[in-house]
Amino acid sequence: MVENEKMKYGSLNRFVQAVTGLFLIFFLGVHLYVAHIDFRHPVAFFSSVINQLHNPWWLAFFLIFVYIITYHGINGLNHIVADTSISERAKRDIGIALMVIYVITIIYGTILALLVARMTVPA
Amino acid sequence: MVEANKEMKEGISAWAKFYRKGTGYLAFAFHRLSGLVILFYLYLHYTVLSNLLRGQATYNAIVKSITYGPYDSFLALDFLLALVIFYHGANGVRLALNEFGIGMYHHKALFFTFEIIAMILLGLFDYYALQFVGVGF
Repeated sequence: MVENEKMKYGSLNRFVQAVTGLFLIFFLGVHLYVAHIDFRHPVAFFSSVINQLHNPWWLAFFLIFVYIITYHGINGLNHIVADTSISERAKRDIGIALMVIYVITIIYGTILALLVARMTVPA
Repeated sequence: MVEANKEMKEGISAWAKFYRKGTGYLAFAFHRLSGLVILFYLYLHYTVLSNLLRGQATYNAIVKSITYGPYDSFLALDFLLALVIFYHGANGVRLALNEFGIGMYHHKALFFTFEIIAMILLGLFDYYALQFVGVGF
């Protein structure tokens, strides 16, 4: 029974990982184009970033991007941990720690993006 | 099955044992390795972006230092990172399709097809991105 639940959770987890991965193809494609080609500089300067984040649609885009890419990365790391030979208890503890890291990261990312969006470009 | 269980017990160290394991295993091992590299870079990226809060002068100084020097060797790492990202993305699409039940019996063909497409896109990306650091073709 417990094994069945674990398998169901594992399948759902892999499915979510696949869906977030496909979303990231779109998000990362747009991000790489905008940040490295459209700004006509290999790395975006301060004013370019601030001006872009002043647009609420871009702000929403980046917030969703941060939530998805961090989830995909942390969840992927959790998959790697699950494949190691460490004890089930250690795997569970690391899983909880990774979840906490995810929550802290997205809270920090949200605060950072909102603060940056409120900044003005000096004349 | 016995072989799979043995690999599970060996854990991460088994990734590095490529001998007679085929394309699928190489794709799997590099997918995880590239994922770890990207995750490390993601947090590095968040750290650099945090410098936006320190103002225009500081942030632009960091950007200039990694683009034009003295730390411009980071730009070379950036291009290596792009290679890792494009590889991971292409193999990830194949894995996602497998997850939805598509191409289950054509692993190898899909792997090479997506990787070739990704490397062409990487070439285009590098070509345009390099124009802005003064590298002409």
